Amino acid sequence: MPTSRRQFIGGVGALAASTFPMPAFAQAKPKVVVVGGGPGGATVAKYVAKDGGIDVSLVEPTRRFTTCFHSNLYLGGFKTWEQITHSYDKIAKAYGIKHVRQMAAAIDRDKRGVRLANGTVLRYDRLVIAPGIDLKFDSVPGYSEAVSNKLPHAWKAGPQTQLLRRQLNALSDGATIVMIAPPNPYRCPPGPYERVSMMAHVLKAKGHKKSRIIVLDTKPSFSKQALFMEGWQKHYTGMIEWQDPKMHGGIKGVDAKSMTVKTDLADYKAQLINVIPAQMAGKIARDAGLANQSGFCPINPDNMKSASDTNIYVIGDASIAGDMPKSGFAANSQAKVAAMMIRGELAKGRTFPARYTNTCWSLIETDDTMKVGARYESKGGKIAAVETFISKTGESADLRKQTQVENMGWYAGIIADIFS
Amino acid sequence: MVDARSNWCIVAAVIAALLFAIANHPTLAAGDRALGEYLSSECVTCHQLSGKHEGIPPIVGWPEHSFIEIMNEYRTKRRSNPVMQTIAGRFNNEEIAALAAYFGTVKSKN
Repeated sequence: MPTSRRQFIGGVGALAASTFPMPAFAQAKPKVVVVGGGPGGATVAKYVAKDGGIDVSLVEPTRRFTTCFHSNLYLGGFKTWEQITHSYDKIAKAYGIKHVRQMAAAIDRDKRGVRLANGTVLRYDRLVIAPGIDLKFDSVPGYSEAVSNKLPHAWKAGPQTQLLRRQLNALSDGATIVMIAPPNPYRCPPGPYERVSMMAHVLKAKGHKKSRIIVLDTKPSFSKQALFMEGWQKHYTGMIEWQDPKMHGGIKGVDAKSMTVKTDLADYKAQLINVIPAQMAGKIARDAGLANQSGFCPINPDNMKSASDTNIYVIGDASIAGDMPKSGFAANSQAKVAAMMIRGELAKGRTFPARYTNTCWSLIETDDTMKVGARYESKGGKIAAVETFISKTGESADLRKQTQVENMGWYAGIIADIFS
Repeated sequence: MVDARSNWCIVAAVIAALLFAIANHPTLAAGDRALGEYLSSECVTCHQLSGKHEGIPPIVGWPEHSFIEIMNEYRTKRRSNPVMQTIAGRFNNEEIAALAAYFGTVKSKN
């Protein structure tokens, strides 16, 4: 259905182009530029473009996108790299989105232009910023982007994720893994703990009896904690040790040469060190002055517009989305609100009060998956949770298995939603 | 008494006929399709618009009354999935009718 409508509009466009001088036609179409092709950016590009009448450019240097969500399943051997990597070709073709394969270098808010790395400037009527996160490498002493080639963060899906998997698969029994878990707020709150589960799954499947995983956390508690703890006890007894700041007394730093993590309590020598540093909004958003002192970007909860520029929307991990976590599901949900508002502003589309949703599934061990989720509305000046749910400890094996089926079904669903 | 009863029967028959007409009238019964299309964006994160399904049930091309009935069962927690209870619980009757109207017209490509 959207296709037939689009084809119709495409037909009218082709007719107009041949009948009228091009510049007049080109000027008539409002321009939307989207910076970043993750679940936020790609979704907003599709939903703005699919009903026609707006010229949409998606600025994203890569040809294919590997999702952070389910990259832990790749680590655990439950999915292949190909299964979590997706092309922009379908949405570019089906909805007439211009995929501009460049890095966005800077934003000129006064002139409403995005300067690309190659010097080209794209003019916009509305801009959507969806750059995701940047890592604060210096939040962990001794850590840097260069060191991450030996001590992977793997918190942006790509070569880092593949490096972590190679390192994990190369371990022999008796190995020590240390993970440094990040402070709030960060991308994918249950992610570090699902990752620990997947690491344990791989070691257990290889028959390791003496290997252990130490999680040095920068916070006193974490997402779905009781559920993870129960699962670790059940499936990986004695393998995983989680320490909060009271236990380790503070993380002093990492030494890549000696493969050591120093805390106030002890030094840990490890064969694999996974450092997930503190995070902030992508550089382009911070450089444009859209972030506050937290490093993330305040937004208007009614529409996902930047709190400091009504021509700009900020969605996904870079935004301060109130009670919503930084997740691919959340970015996809925010993108749909932004797209509706943009079509309301530029194409006389109908608008409705914003609604947001999120669900995060986490796999602990084969056929043992739990979930947390909520619905959100604009309330009291922020995006506030209006109803929440979470899996319970002690659930039946059947229910957990069914939740894993749902997890895989959701992935297929959101990928179809974003990339086709 | 006889007259009163027959009058009542006529009234009841007229009401029944009216209800039947309303329920089956395409415009009167249908929900707001544009509203449904907007609200549907929330559903299609998991339920594929193409009707394909790989672990999550398809929801396109259903008779409107079945769609409404199942959503009501989630709203009243007679069906157990907490994701759907949360989603359905926040929709009012008009919104559920709108969703039923929209998804009812989407043809499965599966």
